[in-house]
Amino acid sequence: MTAFFVGISDFLESMRAWRLWTLMGWVEIRQRYARSKLGPFWLTISMGVMATTLGLLYGVLFGQNLSTYLPMISIGIVMWGLFSGIVNDGCAAFMAGAGYIKQIRSPKYLFILQVTWRNGVIWAHNFIIVLIVLVIFGVKSWVSIWLFIPGVILFLLNAMWIASFVGVVAARFRDFPQIVGSMLQVAFYVSPILFHGEMLSKDHKWVIEYNPLAYLIDIVRQPLLGQFPTPLTWVIAVVMALLGWSLALIFTGKYAKRVPYWV
Amino acid sequence: MTSSIILRDVSLDLPIYDVKGQSLKKRVMRMGRRNRIAEDNEGVVVVRAIDGLNLSLKSGDRLGLIGHNGAGKSTLLRVLAGIYPPTSGTVEVVGKAVPLLDISLGMDDQSTGRQNIRLRGLLLGMTNAEIKAKTEEIAEFTGLGDYLDLPLRTYSSGMRVRLAFAISTAVDADILLLDEVLGVGDASFQEKAAKRLEELHQRAEIVVLAIHSSDTIRKTCNKVLWMERGKVRMFGPVEEVVTTYDRIMNPPAKRQSFRKLVAEKRSARPRWSPSDNSRFGSR
Repeated sequence: MTAFFVGISDFLESMRAWRLWTLMGWVEIRQRYARSKLGPFWLTISMGVMATTLGLLYGVLFGQNLSTYLPMISIGIVMWGLFSGIVNDGCAAFMAGAGYIKQIRSPKYLFILQVTWRNGVIWAHNFIIVLIVLVIFGVKSWVSIWLFIPGVILFLLNAMWIASFVGVVAARFRDFPQIVGSMLQVAFYVSPILFHGEMLSKDHKWVIEYNPLAYLIDIVRQPLLGQFPTPLTWVIAVVMALLGWSLALIFTGKYAKRVPYWV
Repeated sequence: MTSSIILRDVSLDLPIYDVKGQSLKKRVMRMGRRNRIAEDNEGVVVVRAIDGLNLSLKSGDRLGLIGHNGAGKSTLLRVLAGIYPPTSGTVEVVGKAVPLLDISLGMDDQSTGRQNIRLRGLLLGMTNAEIKAKTEEIAEFTGLGDYLDLPLRTYSSGMRVRLAFAISTAVDADILLLDEVLGVGDASFQEKAAKRLEELHQRAEIVVLAIHSSDTIRKTCNKVLWMERGKVRMFGPVEEVVTTYDRIMNPPAKRQSFRKLVAEKRSARPRWSPSDNSRFGSR
């Protein structure tokens, strides 16, 4: 129980330093895209090209209606980019911050928030793809689209607790980021990003029914596609966030103080 | 507000993870060489960096840390700063402790001088208002003028040091933790820097200083802690400890002359010259 409160106070202290982690996030983006004219928009372009190519190719191969398949796949890819970015970078969060961690006393969630912020900024660039799609194919429902906001908050919360978990483990075991990387790749293909539930026959529905990531994707994708996520989807996303955060707070509360020794 | 530091029986074990300890691959690779497994199974070496240390400092204290490299001085500073939690014992630190262990921490090449002031200020725990209030003063002290609006990558190393020094020393701390002297560029700047360092010390209630120069310690400190292998070798008023330290660590007598003799003998010995290599015949 004490570990839980240690975790909470670490998190609150990190939140209070929001000026620091937002600035550190920006600095990193600036470093990465120094003197590049388009900066993070390069990612947007490559993601846009990928979404269009995959959308056209698989749309034709699977005999899908392009006006529904293309929006689905491009929104899926943009949102997956945010999720995998946070989790992947979460692995390196403490290693990248080693210089700070060893030189000043710092709350550890600071580095997870920094990773989240940086990926959020990059995602905001990529979100242009979603806007373009909405303009081209039209907004299906102005009611459901508002659900995107709570959806994306739940989505982020879930990505963050996973990032804080893998971040601590990766600081101690340096092979872990590779494992996480390949797991994310597998997750990309087994989750309904390139396909959706209705494309599966009844016998194969379990592929998405037992995949928690499928619900997370639905919660942000369906509102933009003019659909309403089912109550079950909301419940699963909320429960995952609550349970995940509780465990992650206990875990980081217990091990965060060891992080300076590991990095 | 009165600051204080109380350490009770503090010990700290530093685990050293070499590549063996941190990589699964190495572990798997080692399985091929069965006979070696027993020798280096664990891969994690633990070093007792601080061993049963007691220390009590109150407002107004200026503590100098002396001892060999690796005696635990920097580790102790990190414990006081709250970076390393101790393995056993208790650490009570009252007051805002600011460590200045590496003055160029968090300086970003792509950001301008002013942006770096902000970044480093936040890292040192300054509030937004504090940074705003101090930016002009810092800018003026660096004497960099318009350069402050250029990215750091355009700076010479001397300019970088000036900026880093100016920001670091602008901090207001109850407890100041310093590792070595903050080195500063050219001679004209050094005088200014020394004065500023003095002011920084004065603002703090407690200063802990890890340092090698006995002169600086005599000038600034009122207490000295001599560490050896993580333990207290001697603790007390400056003159007493520093004199003993100098007598034991830098004996002017026999041993040194013996060392000198060895060195001379060595240098007198004939060495391989490049031409000698021809005798091994690469041609």
